[in-house]
Amino acid sequence: MVVRAFLVMLAAVLALPLGAEAQKPIKVGFPMIMSGPGALFGEPAAKGAQMFVDEINAKGGVLGRKLELLVRDTKGNADEAVRVSRELILKENVDFLVGTLTSAEGPAVSVVAKENQVVFIAPIPKTDQLTAPDKLHPYVFRVAATTTMEGRSAAEIVAKWPVTTVATISPDYAYGQDVTRAFVEHLKKIKPAVQIVDQQWPKLGEADYTPFINAQLAKKPQAVFSSLWGGHFVTFAKQAKPLGYFDAIKYNFIGVGEAASPESTKSMGKDYPVGIWGNSYDAFYWEGPPAHKDYVARLSKYLRDEYPSSWAIQGYIGLQFLTEAIRKANGTDSDKVSKALLGLTVDTPIGKQTIRAKDHQANRGQLYGKTVMDPKYPFAIMKPIEYVDPTKFID
Amino acid sequence: MLDPSFLFAQSLSGLTAAMFLFLIASGLSLVFGVLRVLNFAHGTFYMLGAYSAYQIVLWIGPGPGTFWVAALGAALGIAVLGGLIERLLFRHLYGKEELYHLLFTYALVLILSDAAKILWGTQQKSVSRPPGLAGAFTLFGVTVPYYNLFILLLGPAIALGFWFMLQRTRVGRFIRAAALDRETLGTLGVNVSGLYTGVFVLASFLGGLGGALVTPVRTIVPGMDTEIIVEAFVVVVIGGLGSFWGTFLGALIYGQVLSFGILLFPRFSIFSVFALMAAVLILRPWGLLGRPLK
Repeated sequence: MVVRAFLVMLAAVLALPLGAEAQKPIKVGFPMIMSGPGALFGEPAAKGAQMFVDEINAKGGVLGRKLELLVRDTKGNADEAVRVSRELILKENVDFLVGTLTSAEGPAVSVVAKENQVVFIAPIPKTDQLTAPDKLHPYVFRVAATTTMEGRSAAEIVAKWPVTTVATISPDYAYGQDVTRAFVEHLKKIKPAVQIVDQQWPKLGEADYTPFINAQLAKKPQAVFSSLWGGHFVTFAKQAKPLGYFDAIKYNFIGVGEAASPESTKSMGKDYPVGIWGNSYDAFYWEGPPAHKDYVARLSKYLRDEYPSSWAIQGYIGLQFLTEAIRKANGTDSDKVSKALLGLTVDTPIGKQTIRAKDHQANRGQLYGKTVMDPKYPFAIMKPIEYVDPTKFID
Repeated sequence: MLDPSFLFAQSLSGLTAAMFLFLIASGLSLVFGVLRVLNFAHGTFYMLGAYSAYQIVLWIGPGPGTFWVAALGAALGIAVLGGLIERLLFRHLYGKEELYHLLFTYALVLILSDAAKILWGTQQKSVSRPPGLAGAFTLFGVTVPYYNLFILLLGPAIALGFWFMLQRTRVGRFIRAAALDRETLGTLGVNVSGLYTGVFVLASFLGGLGGALVTPVRTIVPGMDTEIIVEAFVVVVIGGLGSFWGTFLGALIYGQVLSFGILLFPRFSIFSVFALMAAVLILRPWGLLGRPLK
């Protein structure tokens, strides 16, 4: 008896270092914009990822190991994103990368992931380039929408409007150009009677949109597509509204780039051009699938915000896919996890999401709707609000 | 195609943009003209003015006078902050190499913008137009928001007030003298150090006021400081660093070039402005109304 107890103790002591080895956390590098204007989305995305990590660790982690999230500021700069990603891989020995925000950062970090053979999941960059056939490699995945999905989803909505002359206003850089091209091409295809009468290209971060607004109004479009996002959309709308811009086009305006996200409508309050159409990755007031309500309640508590961010979901889903793939692969080997991600379906708070094997792209649709004031909130919401599944419109 | 009312609308929008730019660039130009320091943190004062105005509006709550109290309060707050920074830190830079000016003011940009991020977070903020100026009227077929009209009138008023102060008052004479020869002015018994603080406070006030007044038409976001400092810098380079009317002229040109540039090169709206700056730098490196540095 005593001998047996002694042996068990000995075994336990001897096993300890081995056990500790097995208990070493799985490290996930999270290069993200945490300063400057992009932090508006980067910070909540990082918090959503952290919430997922905290929740899964409280349940004992994955394969008996805890997850550890290492967030690094990319400052919105592709070179810096590459630098911190390399550092995460080489110095911190992270097992995986989830992160990046802009369409410049995503493809740049994808190259690093390829060189180091580390799985990389992009939760926000939308550029088609990231998963284009010539850029695709076994380690890059995306759980964000693409510019093709977003542009075509918007075209499907505008095609139903009783309008024939359409104009566009978009920031003059990769995202704005790509999503606008996708919108115009798809709209012309499904509704050939439509004419594009004007296209304005203010620079990204333009402070004064009035000249562009005047020029567009002079062409008298019946409807407008915009991909001005975040604060850029807010500035634009604040300047356009008193000029009678939205009245002139009878609120036939669709703003992609999350122009109808709770963040944007909340910051503008009553100044928001209520009546326009817009999209968002998430909305705390969306009924959604049953799991969504619970997710919103948890997020609200986690962020201590009554109206929690619509961007947290992107970090959350990114980590959720990674965790499921680790479980399926039964290990952290990037080659195995990469294979496990192909065709993987995950039950996310916004419903079932699947990463297509052919292009490593999740079928990430967005919420679309017409904005209205709701007496329950001091800001506009989308109502009716619809999750547009982009699978039908993409190749 | 180009009907006159459209051209009028474009020139008005250019003028409005010019008045905002003048408010901000004049402080930058003043500090350079007198203190001989290129203050990169001036854009940060503008950003802090915007955030402060937002904060004061939040504290007071909506009302007819809220915005004006907030704008003035924010400008005064930034003036005090500017005064403290000048007294405690800036004065060690005078007469030093320009590299130190650059390093110090850039450090100030980083520190203050991080402080703003800690205080106000990263979410975009917005301030409504003051209730009295929320609407718009029509002039020659062009819709002009009342708030834009207010800015159009305020810009020249401040320019004239400024000019009067510089040309006709005792303090103004000292400021002009300090810009030319600081040492001689000091030996004549003038408190140059106090004068410098005053100039810096005034410039900070203008920067803060510009930031506060811009809130009804723009969004308050982290990074708005570095965006505006580039524009303000272009304005003072075109007009002439340190030249008061040069700054005014530079802002007017910037506004119009941007407004009409999008008609000529719709895809390269910002190109016209930088092309102009390059041309000025080649032909008159000291700016249109500036004086060549010795």
